Amino acid sequence: MIKVEIRDLHKSFGEKEILKGIDCDIETGEVVCVIGPSGSGKSTFLRCINCLEQPTSGTIKVDGHLMDENAKNIDELREDVGMVFQQFNLFPHLSVLDNITIAPILRKKMDKPTAEATAHELLTRVGLADKADAMPRSLSGGQKQRVAIARALAMKPGLMLFDEPTSALDPEMVGEVLDVMKKLAIEGMTMVVVTHEMGFARQVADRVLFIDGGVIAEEGTPDQVFGAPKSERLKGFLKAVLEAS
Amino acid sequence: MGFFELLAQSMPLFLMGMRLTLELSFVSLAIAMVIGIIASLMGMSSVPLFRAINRTFVAIIRGTPLLVQGYFIYFGLTGVLGIRMTAFTAGVIALSLNAGGYMSEIFRGGIQAVDPGQTEAARSLGLSKSQTTWRIVIPQAIRICIPSVVNQWCITIKDTSIISVLGLAELTKMGSQIIARTFRSFEVWIMVGILYFIVIYLLTVLARIVERKVSLD
Repeated sequence: MIKVEIRDLHKSFGEKEILKGIDCDIETGEVVCVIGPSGSGKSTFLRCINCLEQPTSGTIKVDGHLMDENAKNIDELREDVGMVFQQFNLFPHLSVLDNITIAPILRKKMDKPTAEATAHELLTRVGLADKADAMPRSLSGGQKQRVAIARALAMKPGLMLFDEPTSALDPEMVGEVLDVMKKLAIEGMTMVVVTHEMGFARQVADRVLFIDGGVIAEEGTPDQVFGAPKSERLKGFLKAVLEAS
Repeated sequence: MGFFELLAQSMPLFLMGMRLTLELSFVSLAIAMVIGIIASLMGMSSVPLFRAINRTFVAIIRGTPLLVQGYFIYFGLTGVLGIRMTAFTAGVIALSLNAGGYMSEIFRGGIQAVDPGQTEAARSLGLSKSQTTWRIVIPQAIRICIPSVVNQWCITIKDTSIISVLGLAELTKMGSQIIARTFRSFEVWIMVGILYFIVIYLLTVLARIVERKVSLD
């Protein structure tokens, strides 16, 4: 079953065209990792899926519903698409628990005890059962990101978007976040992950997209993309990444 | 007559003046907060006309002295429109428009200082525009604004002394009246200064307590 259908997606900022025509289907339960040099349009691609960026042209459908910033039901459509940001973006004025319950209470009209019970379950799942009453500022980067994942999961989304979720973390905290993501993938969550963690992509992805210059320059299984890259651009990118690490 | 005798004798007049100063300040600041909120919302509106109105309003308030604004409202406007207005009303209008203009810039700055990532995170969870504004952006903007708002309150409380020229017997005016009778300029202005200082000092202490209470750090 197709979860996300992207057709001829273009996005420009002013004169500068960032995405130059992307076609892509994502199956339900599929884990897609998006790699590519910085400035290639990976994040913009991801942010178009839940309409944080409105496409200049082309269409994105999630479960057959057109994602359009001006659509009346865009808020409901976004409820089904969770997003995790590079900078966590936890709400600093709310406790960890309130960060997780605010959307279910406001959007799903869930009563507070139910929302809090769900939040405690989610915190246990991400290994932060004891942090419910903490304020975000007291958490480490890795803990913040795990709370951010729990917050997104509280809306029971059918699709999760990850925008370089480990890029702002100290190296020793990358593992704890990737572990949570791996568990999610195993549980069958549909995921699109923009990442520089080639190890994670190789191990967890069903499919890897290499975006370069605003188009999908190459795609395939992790074995194909990492084991037998075809294009010179991908070969060059992988070489540069491996040398860096 | 010694300093304390003068003080004791002048105290009833000082208190009357102080009362009017506080009334002017309180009413004007309450209205200024409302004006500031509305004007800042207009300044951030997607409707170009609203933004233009806000920009013009702020430019006029900033670009002209409060004294001129007060004279214009009390003498200029009332004359042309053929309406009557008490000096208190004119003073409140001038002070609240004046403070409102500055507040609108403070609020706009506070809201725009909230990390755009906060809005993105809220919208990505499905929160509507207004839920995002009221639950996520405003609570953070208020914390950012508090020091500047308190600063503006202090300025406006002191600006009521300028409005005394409209004939309001507030604290500064009382001071000059007492001097007219006693010729004790030196002591009386010290007393007037101390009375303003006490009010402002109490306000800033209170503000610091509130600020610490709601602080996120």
